[in-house]
Amino acid sequence: MTTSAPLPGMIEISIDGKSVRVPSGTTVFDAARMNGINIPTLCHLQNQTPVGVCRLCVVDTGARVLSASCVRPVEPAMKVVTNSEKVLNARKTLLELLMSDHPSPCARQEKSGDCELEALAKAAGITQPRFAKRMVVRGKDDSSLAIAVDHDACILCDRCIRGCDEVKNNFVLGRMGKGYSAVIAFDLNAPMGGSTCISCGECMVSCPTGALTNRGLAGTAIAADSRAEIFEAEELLQIPVFQGVSGTFLELNRGAIVKRRFRKGEVICREGEFGSTAFYIVEGRARVSISSPIAHVKTQGGAKGFFKRLTSTLVGREEDTREDEARDRTIPIDASVDLSYGNPVAELSPGDLFGEMTCMNFYPRSATVIAESDVVAYEMLRNVLDIMLKNKTFRAQLDETYRRRALENHLRGVPMFANLSAEFIAHIKESVELQRFAPGQTIVRQGEPADSFYLVRIGFVKVSENYPGGEVVLAYLSRGDYFGEIGLLSGGVRTATCTALDHVELVRISGDDFRDMVVRFPSVRSGIEAIAVERSAANKQRLQMVHSVPIDQFLSQGLMEAQSLLVLDLQNCTRCDACVNACADAHDGVTRLVRDGLRFDRYLVATSCRQCRDPLCMVGCPVGSIRRRNSLEVIIEDWCIGCGLCARNCPYGNINLHPFEVLADDPENAGRKKAAIKQKATSCDLCTHLKEPSCVYACPHDAAHRVDPKTFFAEMLSQTSAK
Amino acid sequence: MKIDRTHRTWAIAALAILAISLIVYFIYALNSPQGSRGGSVIGLLFGIIGFAFMIFAALLGARKRVPTWRLGRAQTWMRGHLWLGLLALPMILFHGGFHFGGTLTRLLMWLLIVTVASGVFGAALQHYIPRVMTCDVPLETIYDEIGHVRSLLREEADRAMEIVCGSLSFPKSTLEETQRAGGFTALRPIAATAVPLRTSAAVSAGASAAVAAAHEIILLSKEQSAPLRGFYLSEMRPFLEHPKNSNRLADAPAASGAFAGLRALLPAAAHASLSDLEDICNEARQLARQEQLHRWLHGWLLVHIPLSLVLILLGAVHAVMALRY
Repeated sequence: MTTSAPLPGMIEISIDGKSVRVPSGTTVFDAARMNGINIPTLCHLQNQTPVGVCRLCVVDTGARVLSASCVRPVEPAMKVVTNSEKVLNARKTLLELLMSDHPSPCARQEKSGDCELEALAKAAGITQPRFAKRMVVRGKDDSSLAIAVDHDACILCDRCIRGCDEVKNNFVLGRMGKGYSAVIAFDLNAPMGGSTCISCGECMVSCPTGALTNRGLAGTAIAADSRAEIFEAEELLQIPVFQGVSGTFLELNRGAIVKRRFRKGEVICREGEFGSTAFYIVEGRARVSISSPIAHVKTQGGAKGFFKRLTSTLVGREEDTREDEARDRTIPIDASVDLSYGNPVAELSPGDLFGEMTCMNFYPRSATVIAESDVVAYEMLRNVLDIMLKNKTFRAQLDETYRRRALENHLRGVPMFANLSAEFIAHIKESVELQRFAPGQTIVRQGEPADSFYLVRIGFVKVSENYPGGEVVLAYLSRGDYFGEIGLLSGGVRTATCTALDHVELVRISGDDFRDMVVRFPSVRSGIEAIAVERSAANKQRLQMVHSVPIDQFLSQGLMEAQSLLVLDLQNCTRCDACVNACADAHDGVTRLVRDGLRFDRYLVATSCRQCRDPLCMVGCPVGSIRRRNSLEVIIEDWCIGCGLCARNCPYGNINLHPFEVLADDPENAGRKKAAIKQKATSCDLCTHLKEPSCVYACPHDAAHRVDPKTFFAEMLSQTSAK
Repeated sequence: MKIDRTHRTWAIAALAILAISLIVYFIYALNSPQGSRGGSVIGLLFGIIGFAFMIFAALLGARKRVPTWRLGRAQTWMRGHLWLGLLALPMILFHGGFHFGGTLTRLLMWLLIVTVASGVFGAALQHYIPRVMTCDVPLETIYDEIGHVRSLLREEADRAMEIVCGSLSFPKSTLEETQRAGGFTALRPIAATAVPLRTSAAVSAGASAAVAAAHEIILLSKEQSAPLRGFYLSEMRPFLEHPKNSNRLADAPAASGAFAGLRALLPAAAHASLSDLEDICNEARQLARQEQLHRWLHGWLLVHIPLSLVLILLGAVHAVMALRY
């Protein structure tokens, strides 16, 4: 689709003689990429802020000097040349300079043969650099058990620093020194092993060279069984969807991806279960469905008799259709398809990924998947999926599947888009961009030019507005919600900042398409305008209420992340410690709760496992003894070695180490055992062997409750919002 | 336990039992030419019901000993204890026909009255004090840990003083790396190098960060620091060690005044440390308040429980003697 005149906010430029139109503010690098023109780079990664330090992406814009395309915004009528002799020579010289200091082959090139610098140098025909090698040796840092640091192989591209700071928000990495002695540094130049680095591996995966490489000592793996085929990195790189993934990364995560075969009729995963893996179907077909009855709770009774209690029953949709269910709607699930409300069954075929949200955010499985024929699937853990989703090839394939299978349903699920013509939907399906954001990542920033409209497909988005002295949270958007319309309709800038709260997946409709849509379909325009007016008014009202303390506390205390909280109503609690005694009684005399902790309003959020949606405690257990069962609780298995990493990772101090008496080898008498004290981690297991947690059952004062925080505090939060 | 709407069912049931008992008692009393007697069938029935209620109420203690046994929710037992224990008094009064009888029965009757009264008093305390404690002690900690937290506060105050006044020869803590953290985190040592943790106790109290960033080290001269040194050694440190109501720091406005006076005497560079000391005082005061309220909250049990046990024991003796002789 084309329009005769450029739309507001769009700029027309020429790249290598090809005329392209991109939104204002786009960089030359992105403009070229969007139009299939490849510009080499070392310091730029798609998911990081461009910094333009390697200068390898230089292009000729007709200016006095060449420009780094990753940081150069487009300008009207700009003529960009990416492959002139001048440009190619400049790049080659840069590569020669970098290679002159590079210890070729570096550790990465040796291990997996995918050092980006050496690959580019080879492509440019550089065998022997013309320049002398640097005299200053920057050295190595082998203090970390997980990652080896070779400062001499570092090209100071800052990708690791941005990965650590922007992507993972760990803020451990930075730069130190000047000139030749400039190096990346951990904390205040501490050895990596002694720094606050949590060995998440983001820096290593971001590194284009062998400066940060896997030491091969720590890793994560899917529980091995006879049906799981484990791959070596070299084998994986031969599979099309893994091409382009860092070999170093795959080597580090050996066992974090396995091939599984399911026979016809076998359950691959079941709705409501907790898990930590995603599945990518390679062969065969699977049926995805929701087996729970689609019905809602209806409260009845009351009038039939004086003593009759109100009763709540499940009522089918046919018997009691609600007004807002008048149309056939779809149920979004954690797969590349949505399910029809009337018949919640769909088919998954080769190329489909499911379990993404379970894997990325540890949400429960959203549907049951059963093999309809013999199925072969890759099962992968979060670290692998995270990297896969950053891989262009894999992502393009997923996006294509989603466009083909679910996008129309998703678009039509938005009430105001329900009446769009099939032709326009077909156009939108081709032109939308699917975007993913990591937790904490800013999607749009207040004050930036508004160039897109977004639909939330997966995850939660926080909408906030800055005001002098602080930030006000305006809304939380989830599946099916949308944002960006106010800025587009007013033709101006973003009026709020939107941030991903967890792993978020969005459908981005460009400003051009959006405007075209509202021009062609007046009903869409009137619908959006009405909602935009409503939202603006609501936002203004909320802004007046700048002291949203309870909501702030709700968030700052991480209560939103919890699935189950042990709260003590302090106005009922007589501090008798019956709950603590009961807990100790139920757990071999060792209590798993401390009657102390954070306060939210009149409730004490006791120090007891919250069963977080994103259980950080599970990250890094060297023996995999802390895990989530196929139910709510996080458990610590018997083989815990007492390293205390989970206790340190838990942000709420809810895991404790307790001494236990064990039989250990007697060093003085070989072959004999003697009693020894060993530390083991313990946390609340919700007393799953009993009907109700012992602490709650034993509270004589109706003070202890195990609650879902969102439900339990909903009224309090809504009252605050309504003030 | 808060007596609120959730007790309605028990309250109605108790009132119904009382009303029925009253009707039965009046019919029985009016139709007994010699007046109501404990030895009559109806009198014995009231006695058995009353004693059964007492036994049930006393069993709450045993129930608490086996918290994980699924014998009914502790909350139900507690409600039964409250309402049936309360009903035991009218039942026994009906049993004795409002006569206190001989020595043993008189003793039993007074024991019952005092036990029920202490229970009612305790229920009232447990209804109000949790609210008062929640409001007055935002930095509440576990009661048994108060002594430990207090020693941490004293050590932190010592450190804050030595930053400003130089060495005062205070004994050094064995946990050199421990920093103060309000309430909850005081239980767990926090490495001095750790990222400061802002605990909710401090947050909800609107207090400063529980583990505050270190201030710039400002060493005052001996003359400059003399007022602070005198105040600390003569008033604050004793208060931190043994908080007594006679100390002016036990009173919030008076303490605030004392610190305001010191602020006027000390150079501005020392004000940050002074604020730290004031925060420490405030927390120590809250701990003292918590101790006081805790004693009220649980002290009455020292009367109620022994009396209950004696009552049950003597009640059993009375039952055996009355039935046998």
